[in-house]
Amino acid sequence: MKRFDCLKAVAAVAGDALVVSSAGAMTLEWNVLHPSDGNLRVRTLGLCSSIALGMALGLPQRKIIALDGDGSLLMNLNSLATIARMRPKNLIHIVFDNEVYEASGSKKTATGAGTDLVGVARAAGIKNSHWAKSIDDFALAVTAAMTGGELCFIGAKVTTERTEVPPYPIDEVENKYRFIRHVEKTENIEIFKTNLPASYG
Amino acid sequence: MNPTEAAKTIVTGLKGAGINLIATLPDVNLADLLREVEEDRELIHVPLCREEEGIGICAGAYLVGKKCAAIMQNGGFFNSNNAIVSTLLQYQIPLLLLIYYAGDVGDRTFSTTGSLTEPVLQALGIRYYIMRDPADAVELIKRAQVLTEDAKRPVALLLTKEVLGRRSALASL
Repeated sequence: MKRFDCLKAVAAVAGDALVVSSAGAMTLEWNVLHPSDGNLRVRTLGLCSSIALGMALGLPQRKIIALDGDGSLLMNLNSLATIARMRPKNLIHIVFDNEVYEASGSKKTATGAGTDLVGVARAAGIKNSHWAKSIDDFALAVTAAMTGGELCFIGAKVTTERTEVPPYPIDEVENKYRFIRHVEKTENIEIFKTNLPASYG
Repeated sequence: MNPTEAAKTIVTGLKGAGINLIATLPDVNLADLLREVEEDRELIHVPLCREEEGIGICAGAYLVGKKCAAIMQNGGFFNSNNAIVSTLLQYQIPLLLLIYYAGDVGDRTFSTTGSLTEPVLQALGIRYYIMRDPADAVELIKRAQVLTEDAKRPVALLLTKEVLGRRSALASL
């Protein structure tokens, strides 16, 4: 499978889900296919799944999609155990496994040497964990996850092929502000409060 | 205060500061505090496998409107440093860190970890306060939460055996 085609399938059903994407070219591809202030680009390798878990726990009525990679998840395998323990019904964890550290010189990851991330997720306690066997299978799995009300983990073996896309248009701080303003607007809540200076109170 | 009273006081302080999601990893000296956090139905408690994931969980929860704290030992703070730098500091995300000060003066474990705790906090530009007296805990937690929210950077409170009710305070500490 080609990652870009998989991302198109996610974009087709993502709706108003908040989307956290791991460091690397995948984030740039996603941003072209589904530009939204509800996208958060992660810069700490490994932290995608944990940031998505925090969002899922904090906003249980909203679908949260984590777009993860094999190198990233291998660095934070324990997050699967914590996700399984907290079992948020609104979290969809998708891993694109190209078996290399694509953004870091394409050295082989442990999945290229046999580690089965879906097997790890299932053994960690995420029962609804499956490999998508084809692009159609993947699209069906993501659609089912979006309409269902269960924590799920979807693995997709993808090629190392990259799609030429522009660089990410905003920096981390602007990404944060836009994301929070998007959540405030779409959830009708106030996150940033304007505090009076201490001298006034 | 005994450890249970001290733990209840700290949880009262956290809730008074508006904290509603707490990620934790145990240290034996934190046992009473973590029990109080676990048993409080108004708090979302996230027991961690490794402290660094807790930084991500708290960052994600902050971005959707939660007020978070992470409770860990200083060894766990060291474990969390990449996430603190490239997520919290890079994105300017506040977080209250409650760090058990292993290797504090007279604490018979991890003296190397203790000796490097404050220098690492200083190197990261994280403002920190050493908590000794349980009577100050509620007010200090409230002030630290104001600081982290205003500065949009993490702020650390170092939890000693004294503030946890496990050792009597010395006048000079």
